Amino acid sequence: MDNLMTNYYDSASMILFGVGFMTLLLNNNLIKKIIGMNIMDTSIFLFFITKGYIEGGRAPIYAATQSQSQNFMNPLPSALMLTGIVVAVSTTAFALALTIRIHDAYGTIELDKVIEKRGLQNEQP
Amino acid sequence: MNNLKVFPIIIILLLLLTAFVMPLIKKRKGVFFLSLTTVAATFLLSAGMLRTVNLVGSYFIKVGPYEAPWGIAFHIGYIEALMALLFTGVTLMISWYGVYSIHKDIKEDHIKYYFTLVHILLAALLGVVFTNDLFNGYVFIEAVTLSSCGIIIIKNNKNTSKATFKYLIMSVLGSGLLLMGIAFLYAITGQLNIIAINNELVKVAASKQNIVTISLSLIMVGLGVKSALFPLHTWLPDAHSSAPTTSSALLSSLVLKAPIVFLIKVIYQVYGLEVIRETPIFSILLFLGVAGMILGSVFAIYQKEIKRVIAYSTVAQMGYIFFGIGLGTEMGLMVSLFHVFAHALTKAMLFLCVGSMIEQSGYKYKDEFRGIGKEMPVTLGAFTLGALSMVGIPIFPGFISKWYFSIATINANQYIFLAFILASSLLNAVYYFPIVINGYFGIDNVKGKIYKSKYKPIKEVLPLAVLAIAMVMISGYSSVLLEFFKLGLNIK
Repeated sequence: MDNLMTNYYDSASMILFGVGFMTLLLNNNLIKKIIGMNIMDTSIFLFFITKGYIEGGRAPIYAATQSQSQNFMNPLPSALMLTGIVVAVSTTAFALALTIRIHDAYGTIELDKVIEKRGLQNEQP
Repeated sequence: MNNLKVFPIIIILLLLLTAFVMPLIKKRKGVFFLSLTTVAATFLLSAGMLRTVNLVGSYFIKVGPYEAPWGIAFHIGYIEALMALLFTGVTLMISWYGVYSIHKDIKEDHIKYYFTLVHILLAALLGVVFTNDLFNGYVFIEAVTLSSCGIIIIKNNKNTSKATFKYLIMSVLGSGLLLMGIAFLYAITGQLNIIAINNELVKVAASKQNIVTISLSLIMVGLGVKSALFPLHTWLPDAHSSAPTTSSALLSSLVLKAPIVFLIKVIYQVYGLEVIRETPIFSILLFLGVAGMILGSVFAIYQKEIKRVIAYSTVAQMGYIFFGIGLGTEMGLMVSLFHVFAHALTKAMLFLCVGSMIEQSGYKYKDEFRGIGKEMPVTLGAFTLGALSMVGIPIFPGFISKWYFSIATINANQYIFLAFILASSLLNAVYYFPIVINGYFGIDNVKGKIYKSKYKPIKEVLPLAVLAIAMVMISGYSSVLLEFFKLGLNIK
C-alpha cells in the first residue's frame, strides 16, 4: 500500500490503463471503444514520461550562462511519447473514419446490432 | 565495403518514396510498372544484403547522426537478410498476380492507392525485421497495422468495414500492451536499444524477476494478438476472408510473420534464453501453440466458405511457429524461422489459387467447387501442391518443418507433443483433401463441366508457378537455410 502511494504516478497510470483496456474490450458502442483506446494510450504516455521525471529537475535546455549544479530531466521519454501521440492520433482518425463507414452501411454504431443485421443478411442472400 | 552496408536503408527509402509518387500516376499500367520494378529492385538489393552478410558477417548501421545507444540502428544478420529476401520476393509475386486481377476486386481509381499502401506495408514490415531499437519497432508495427487495415477496407463493402474495425480494435489492444511492455523494460534498464537493454538486463534480471516476467508477458501477448496466437486470433478469419485476394495473400503470408521475427529478436537478443527459462513464458507459449495447432484445424473443418478454411488453416500454422518458440531451445527457434519461410510461400500460393478460382467461377462455398479441376486444372494443381505441403507430404517444406519440429521436440524431452504434431497433420488432411479430391474426381462432380472452360491464360498463372518452384526449392535447400538461421541466432 505504501508503495502504491509513493509511486502514485505508476499506480494512476495502471488504473487508467485498466479502465481504458476494459472500455475498449467490453463496450458495445464503437465511439466508446475509441475513447477507451485513447485512455489506454494516454496512460502509457503518462507511465513512460514519469520514468524520465526527476523531482526538481529542469527542462534539458543547455545554456552556457546557467550553472550546471541543477539536475536535468531525461528528455528521451518525452520525445518518444511525441511519436506515440502521433501514432495514437492517426489510429484514432482511422478508427473514426471506419465508424462513419459502418454507420453508413448498417445505420447503427452499436456492435451487437451490427452483428444482428449481418446475421439477417447472411440468411437471405 | 561500407557502401554495401547502406542497402537496408536504401530499400526502405525507395519503397516509401515510390509509395507517395504512386497516386500521381494517371494510367493503371504506369502504376503496375513502377510497383513491380521497385519491388524487384528491393528484391535484388536484399540479395545483395545477403551477400554482404556472407562477406563481412552481421553488422549494425545507424540511421541519423547519433550513435547506437541513443540513436536508432538497424541490425543486419543472416535472419534479417533472408527475411528481407522472402518478404520482397513474395510481395513481388503477389503484385505480379495482382496486375491481372486487382481491378476485379477494387475500383479502377483506387488501384494506385492500393499500391501506395502495399509499398508502405512492405517498408514497415522490413523495418520491423531490421530494427535494433524496441520503440522504433513499435512505430513500424503501428505502420504495418494501419496500412494492412487499409488494404482490407479498400474493397469497399459492408463485410470489410466490420472486419477491419474488428482487426483495428484487436491490433490497437496488442500495440497498447506491447508499448506497456516496452515501458516496463525501459523502467528497469533505461535503454531502448536491443543490445544495450540486454547488457543492463543481465545485471538486474535476478533482482527484478517480477518486472521481467510482466514486461515479457505484455510483449508476448501484444505481439501474439498481431500474429494470431491462438485465443487472440478472432480477428483473423473475418479480415482474411473478406479482403481482396492479393491482400489476403499479403496478410496471411507476410503481415503475421513480421511480429514473429520481432518476438524472436526480443526473446533471444533482449532477454536471452537463460533469463526467460526462469519464467513460465515458454510453457505458456508451448500450450497456446499446441491449442492453436489442434483447434485451428478443427475450426477449419467446420467452415463453409473456402477462404475461411484457408484463414483458419493459417491459425493452425501459426500455432506450429509459436510451438517452436515455446520449446525454448535454439533448435526450436531455428525451425520456427524455417516454418515462417515455408508457410509464407505456401499460404501466398494457396490464397492466390483460391482467389483465382473464386474470381473465375463466382462461387464462394467449398461445396460448390466440385469439379473445378476439370475447368481450371492448372490452378487446382497448384492448390494441390500447397495442400500437400500443409499436410506434410515429403519433398514439400511443410514436411521438412514438421520433421524438424519433431526432432526439436525429442531433443527438448517433450515426447508427448509428438502426438499433437501428428494429430494436427491428420486434421490438416481432413479439410484440405476433400477440396482437392472433389475438385478432380467423382463422376457426378465433373459431369457437364467443360474442360478448361474457366482456364486462365498462362501468363496469369505464372506467379503461382514461381511460388510453387520456390516452395520446392526451399525444401531442397532446407539444410542450408537452417545453417544460416543457426549462424544468425548465435551472433549477438
